[in-house]
Amino acid sequence: MNVIALQLANQRTARPVLALECERDVHRSESDPTRNSVPLRFTLPAPNQGAMTAQTVQQGDLVTVVGLEVHVQLETDTKIFCGCSTEQTDEPNENVCPVCLGLPGALPVLNEGAVEAAVKIGKAIDADIPEETRFHRKNYYYPDLPKNFQITQYDEPICADGELEVSVEGTRRSVTIERAHLEEDPGSLQHVGGGIDTADYTLVDYNRAGTPLMEIVTAPDFRSPDEVRAFLAELEEVLEYLGIFDAERDGSLRIDANLSIIPEAEIDGDNADEISADALEAANRTEVKNISSHKGAQKALAYEETRQKNAIQRGRAVEQETRHWDEARGITVSMRSKEEEKDYRYFEEADLPPLRVSDWKEEIAIPELPSARRERFGDEYGLDEEAASKLTSTKQVADFYEDVAGEFDPDLAATWVADNLLGELNYRDIEITEIEGRLEEVKRLVALVDEDEITAKNARETVLRSMLDDGRTPDEVVAEEGLGKTSGDEVRQAVVEAIDENQGAVEDYESGDDGAINFLVGQVMQKTGGSADPSDVNQLLRAELED
Amino acid sequence: MSESPETADPEEVRHVAQLARVGLADDEVDQFTRQFADILEYFETLDEVPEVDREADLANVMRPDVERDSLESEEALRNAADTEDGYFKGPNVS
Repeated sequence: MNVIALQLANQRTARPVLALECERDVHRSESDPTRNSVPLRFTLPAPNQGAMTAQTVQQGDLVTVVGLEVHVQLETDTKIFCGCSTEQTDEPNENVCPVCLGLPGALPVLNEGAVEAAVKIGKAIDADIPEETRFHRKNYYYPDLPKNFQITQYDEPICADGELEVSVEGTRRSVTIERAHLEEDPGSLQHVGGGIDTADYTLVDYNRAGTPLMEIVTAPDFRSPDEVRAFLAELEEVLEYLGIFDAERDGSLRIDANLSIIPEAEIDGDNADEISADALEAANRTEVKNISSHKGAQKALAYEETRQKNAIQRGRAVEQETRHWDEARGITVSMRSKEEEKDYRYFEEADLPPLRVSDWKEEIAIPELPSARRERFGDEYGLDEEAASKLTSTKQVADFYEDVAGEFDPDLAATWVADNLLGELNYRDIEITEIEGRLEEVKRLVALVDEDEITAKNARETVLRSMLDDGRTPDEVVAEEGLGKTSGDEVRQAVVEAIDENQGAVEDYESGDDGAINFLVGQVMQKTGGSADPSDVNQLLRAELED
Repeated sequence: MSESPETADPEEVRHVAQLARVGLADDEVDQFTRQFADILEYFETLDEVPEVDREADLANVMRPDVERDSLESEEALRNAADTEDGYFKGPNVS
């Protein structure tokens, strides 16, 4: 199919099918509040009918605009304003004290570790870290806040005007980060005996209250859910490299996304990144809450994008509202309208003096970041982009690769770390951090391959898998499974036997059936327990049969 | 702090009540409107206080990231009106 035909096919089918699937979802979900307000104006046509083409053209004129607020949990030992542990525990209200319970008279004292983490983020996103920054109280009345206010930062955040470079489908893009600020996490609520609206009562656990968070706010720079996903994945990588974030931790990443659909004509032709503030103001946006992963963000926003486009196509206004991403049902649902900014009655937190970190920030070092390391892996080890990208996905993987590449051929090291090791770990759903103590054994295995002691196939399929599945060392597996490369004499012996025992195949080969050699190779391999090198065997057989 | 005197109207009282999640009957709205006005007027006295700077120029008051003992769970829950299995227990909120 040529390019134009492909485009036409996409226009005719891909988008409308997506829209229709979404529409069905909306109508299927009984408790979706939008359900009654979306009239069924048309019956679902089959994908290739002419009516669909007209709709597609309308959709092409619309552009999706997304901005994010990402809440990142900072990996400190203690909470942001008190010395309670941030470890997850099994029992509720174990890691609490007068400060994080909001008891009268308790005073917050800022955790140095949280500030250091915030400065690292600021440096990593190349943000301005102002001379002075301070804290505010954000007032709202809800039981997840024991004090009835949250200590956060308002007009003087610790980081402003940063950026993060993201690669989206091979194109590098810079996403503007308007601000990033420190704040405390609220506690967690359980709505018992029903959903949030229908519960009988509420149970409150303040273990999480006071955990340090960084809220990272981007400009409305995203044009698709895929871009959002790519950005969040990159952000997670950067945060993990900084050593201040644990992606595996429950609730460590929470995302609110603002999405609006605007006419394409509103985009400045010269600069596709710039959208006028007026156009954004004119379009109603929805804030989608309760997203907790980059995959979730992509799904939630793809749903929301389609929902809004469908509404616009049918001449309906998109309501400006907050919507809740229901991961289990794969839909967003309308939430009761929340407070406006003025209702939060922000005012300065007088219990915390201002923070001046501009001198301190020079002392706070950050490691080489993933994008720089990817580039260096290309230059230094001659890796292609895909391999470099895999090998820098986490700091531990990148460190291990450099360790192996320092001792062996960088290509061999790349195959072993990126393909074999990560592949087998991935298959078993194991993180490299979980086998940190055994990485020396993996290196030993690479050495066995490098020194030609075992075949690459046996090393990968037998030794590595046994190491991971039953905990044996590579040398144990090699010895116990008899995988040491068979000596030349044994292979020659096996070749002679195979020829003697399979005269039919020999005759076939001699009468011109070259494929018969493969059968004989197979016989030899069987006799040597797979430890011979198949191409050597092939050559030996041919040489033997020539005589 | 030298803005025109604050006034309270019933709409505002209803809004504040909603933010505080308090249900008010109509006669209570009237009562609170009068009381809000009184309170705001009372606070206007502060406008007469001359502006002064913060006394000490404190900055960067921090503590090291070192764990300290938390309260015993029993103690943490002692003031709670109602508890269940170590949780604070309250009415349904949405």
